[in-house]
Order: sequence, then structure tokens, then C-alpha cells
Amino acid sequence: MSVNAPRSIDEYLKQLRQALEGQDPALIQDALYDAEEYLRAEVAAHPDKSESDVLELIASTYGAPDEVAAAYRDTEAKVKAALQTPAPRTAAHTSGLTRFFGVYQDPRAYTSLFYMLLTLATGIVYFTFVVTGLSLSAGFAVLIIGVPFFLAFIGIARVIALGEGRLLEAMTGERMPRRPVHPGPPASWWRRIGEMLTDVRTWTTLLYLLLMLPLGIIYFTLAVTGLAVGLRLALAPLVVLSRDFGWLPLRLSADMLQIDGHAVASPHTLVGSLFYMVAGIVMVTLLMHAARWIARGHARLAKALLVVPGA
Amino acid sequence: MDDSQPRKFQKDLNAGLVALVLLAVLERTTEDLYGYEIAKRLQKANEGEALFKEGTVYPVLRALAAGGLLTSRVVPSYAGPARRYYRITEDGRAMLRQWSDIWRQTRGFVDRFIEGTAS
Repeated sequence: MSVNAPRSIDEYLKQLRQALEGQDPALIQDALYDAEEYLRAEVAAHPDKSESDVLELIASTYGAPDEVAAAYRDTEAKVKAALQTPAPRTAAHTSGLTRFFGVYQDPRAYTSLFYMLLTLATGIVYFTFVVTGLSLSAGFAVLIIGVPFFLAFIGIARVIALGEGRLLEAMTGERMPRRPVHPGPPASWWRRIGEMLTDVRTWTTLLYLLLMLPLGIIYFTLAVTGLAVGLRLALAPLVVLSRDFGWLPLRLSADMLQIDGHAVASPHTLVGSLFYMVAGIVMVTLLMHAARWIARGHARLAKALLVVPGA
Repeated sequence: MDDSQPRKFQKDLNAGLVALVLLAVLERTTEDLYGYEIAKRLQKANEGEALFKEGTVYPVLRALAAGGLLTSRVVPSYAGPARRYYRITEDGRAMLRQWSDIWRQTRGFVDRFIEGTAS
């Protein structure tokens, strides 16, 4: 059990990382952040002792790396069980039809669809931010404000990445970090810049923020087109009822169901419109499935670019 | 082996107690506290052998905040990274009252057997 006790903060963090191997990278990032915060505060609180002297006592106060790792694993499992919306039960005996329409009972499907609609807005903001930040950084590089500007730019990019992670976790349930990456011991601006430039995660984060624009356009278009066409088809009987029978439910006017003077996707008979309706319902249901699937895939991409490179 | 048995028992006991103690600490204070401060207060109250390691405090704090029993805000710090300060919520206070009652009942019940007043 007693691997050689860590003698420095870096060693402690290394052992903690090893003890947490195989856990979710987001959990590892949180645990490392907490430990580093505590250890640095503890070292700072004992200016008369050396780092290795302080670390010697750590096992009896903060806990040895494997003890702390166990605490995170246990708490994570408990919190997950208590807080997460359980995935809807897809028991083996349910029919394919029940499973197909069961998507409407899954809150994740709605949040995923909402996320898809949101990505156009966030994508534009992220993209603009990165392009502006990078070009201004390049322009300011020769000036004295170049250094603080670049630091602030990357710092904000990290905050955005953390926020995007929180949003994704809320929408898709994928575990994302709750803490940023610890910046490490205080260092000079030049060293900080060097660290940022050599950190793979800096570049993958910027790449993710840039990618969000094209992805956002695709997601948004898919969601809006699917919803518009699907709902329009599903409402086809209303068109026929209002056109042929003068029956205007919900005070819909026949004009409202037309584009450029043409009744869109208008069947000729009421029976025909029922087929349109079925097709529309199937389409919207497929869209809900697609939204879940896309959001899950996107969360994985986000984790690969925003979390894993540093973990 | 002899050493690990009491420790395992202590760990099982602590599973819910850490959360109870943390809520109590935050209920007693008027100021917001951050992780390291809370850990230090617990350490000070611990005479001799620590009942639980301070490293176990952080994940529980985060779990309580995720459950809405605590709120937190981040304050930039000159000494290092930004600190997360915690404050108890109304839900947290209500939960603390419930948990405290359960704790008192449990303690009384267990003591009756250990002290041998019930038989």
C-alpha cells in the first residue's frame, strides 16, 4: 500500500492522477484542481517549512492520493445516482414501436434538440471571439500590451470552454469538468505564455470554439428544417379542413398555411392528408432520435477537445 | 490487518456524516467559506487523530452544491487560482434540521445499547 510518499506537489498530483486512472477525465480534472488548491494553500500557510516537509504531513491531513481518489470515486457514484435523470427504461420486452415513440418521454431528447438550436448562436459568438482574439493578438504582439492581451484572450477562452462544458452536461448528461485546469504555481508572464503556447489543450480548445460555427450551422439547419417540415406535414389535415370545409381550428386562416400563394404540401383529400400526418409524426420522432444521437456525439467531441488533452 | 478494520468502520460511518458536519459548519457561520478554510476548521476541531481526511471534504462540498443545499460563487484570489466560496441555502438549512434529528435519534439509540441501559 505504501508506495513512496510524495515529496512535492507535482509528485502528489502525479500519484493522484495514477490512482484515478480509468475514471472520467472530467472527474480527474476536478480532483486534481481541488488537491492542487489545498496543497498550494497549505504550503503557503507554512512559510517556515519546505515543500517536502509540508507534504510529509499531507497523508494524515488531506489524505494519501489513493484515499482521496477513493473518496472522489464514491462521492461521484452517489451523486450521479441521486441527481441524474435516469435514462428511460428500454426493457427487452418493449416493442420496437414503443421504443421508437418512447423518445418523447426522454427529457434528454428535448434538451438535445434545444442544444442543437442554440449552437448557431453560441457558434457565432465563439467563432467571432476566437478570430478576433487571434488576429488582435497577432497585431498586438509587437506592442507592450501584446502579452497581457494574449493571456486574457486564452484565459477567457478557457472560461468559455468550462461554461460550454457545463451547458453540455446539463443538456446531454455527459460528465464535464466543474473546475478549470489549475494554473499551477505563480509564474512570470513570459513563462505563462510559454506554457499556454506549448499546451495542446490551448489549441484544441480554440479549434473546438472555431468548429462550433460550422457545426452550429449544420445542427441548427437540421433541427429547424426537421421541425418545420415535420410539423407542417403533421398538421396537413388542418389545411384540408380549413380549405375544403371552411373549418378553421384555433382561428388559423387558410393564408397562414400557405407560402407564396401555394398551400405547401397540401393533399387533395382528407384521407390523403392523414398519410401526410403520419409521415410528419414519423419525421419529428426521427428528429428527436437524431437530436439525442447528435448531442451525445457532440459531447464526446467536446470532451476529446476540451478535457482529454490536458488530463 | 488490525489497523485497517477500525479505519474501514470509520469510513463507513463517515459516508453521511461528512455531509452533515459540513452543513452544520456552514450554518454556524455568517461569512462564506472556501474549501481550504472549511477543511482547516474541521482540522482544528479534531483533537488528536483526524476522523476524516480533508481531501474527502471537497467532493462532498461539490455534491452538496450540485444538490442545491449550498450555493457557491467564485472569487479571484491573488495567492493562486480563484476560490470557490460556499454558503448554505434554505433547502440546506431544512435538510440540516432533518439530518440533525435523525442523528440525535440514532446516537441515542446506539448509546442505549453500548452503555447497556437497554437490555
